[in-house]
Amino acid sequence: MAEEALDYVRDLVEGQIDFEGQRLSELIYTVLLSLVGVVAFVTGYITQNVYNTLYVGLAGTALTFVVVVPAWPIFNKHPQRWIAAPHKYSSSSGFNVEVDGKKVT
Amino acid sequence: MHSALNRVQNVFGYFTTVASVVAAVIALSSFTQPQAPSASLKLRNIQVAKGRPHYYSSKREEYAHVRFDLDTDLSSIFNWNTKQVFAYIVATYPSNDPTEPPTQAIIWDAILPSLLEPWHENQYIHPGPPPTPRNGKRSSRSSNSGPTYSRTKRPGILKLSNQKPKYQITDHTGLIANRGNATLELEWSVQPWVGMLTWKPRRDLGVWKKLKGGVSKTFSFPEVIGKKPADMNTVKGGERNRGKPA
Repeated sequence: MAEEALDYVRDLVEGQIDFEGQRLSELIYTVLLSLVGVVAFVTGYITQNVYNTLYVGLAGTALTFVVVVPAWPIFNKHPQRWIAAPHKYSSSSGFNVEVDGKKVT
Repeated sequence: MHSALNRVQNVFGYFTTVASVVAAVIALSSFTQPQAPSASLKLRNIQVAKGRPHYYSSKREEYAHVRFDLDTDLSSIFNWNTKQVFAYIVATYPSNDPTEPPTQAIIWDAILPSLLEPWHENQYIHPGPPPTPRNGKRSSRSSNSGPTYSRTKRPGILKLSNQKPKYQITDHTGLIANRGNATLELEWSVQPWVGMLTWKPRRDLGVWKKLKGGVSKTFSFPEVIGKKPADMNTVKGGERNRGKPA
């Protein structure tokens, strides 16, 4: 029981995502943070208050962290399928690996 | 990007890039804010008396005490990226040796905060209008102190009449009486929220117009008067920093 809970926590902390998810998350944080920079500047400039730039910038960055960092299900929609091992490799004698010209079994 | 830690590092790395770019844009944006300051600076009274640099000094030096009128509108300097303006009045007079640059000494200064800056005890407190006693009753402190000009909607407006200096000035030779060709000039430096420190522009820089006026007529330092009169003291205003290094 504790083992399962520990596994769950480890998965949560590691937050592994698939290749498609990695591409997507990279796109999201680049676009989002660039946008936050622009919005922060414009907000501060319009209100003539440089603190608003700071607060909007920090809030937008925090939002980006929340959106991108955890392994949301959307980042795991294309799990990588491993090719099944051919049947002949299932027996130990079927390997054909050479190390220094010698066959390794 | 495969693990959460990796994504934290990537997002934070890009955040630092965005933050520095935004900071650079803010710093550059202050050069697009038009400013057209104006000032009228007049010498009111000047006295030179003998004094000591400090109580236990045996050295006797001549000290000049300069009173002035200043009416200035520096409010256009306060744009959205201005944290505070350090305004000061410099007395400039030629050195004895003509090959040397003129001597400059500050007689008065003030820290003018922007509206957003948190209060600090060293910030300038503009003298309010004279108290108007009603029915012989002492008016309360709040109405007595009057509006502090640095805390109004438009900071940077100073109207000082017969203002005492903050500092008495002397020459490095200790002799300042009878020196001629002196002027008073209003100077300032601007501390922005983000970006570099800028000084009063000597000439027009794009939308930054140079100060209109702000230089007194030429004057000469008078003879040394015999005894130091009572009203030759300096005044520090209500702010905490009384002319000593902070």
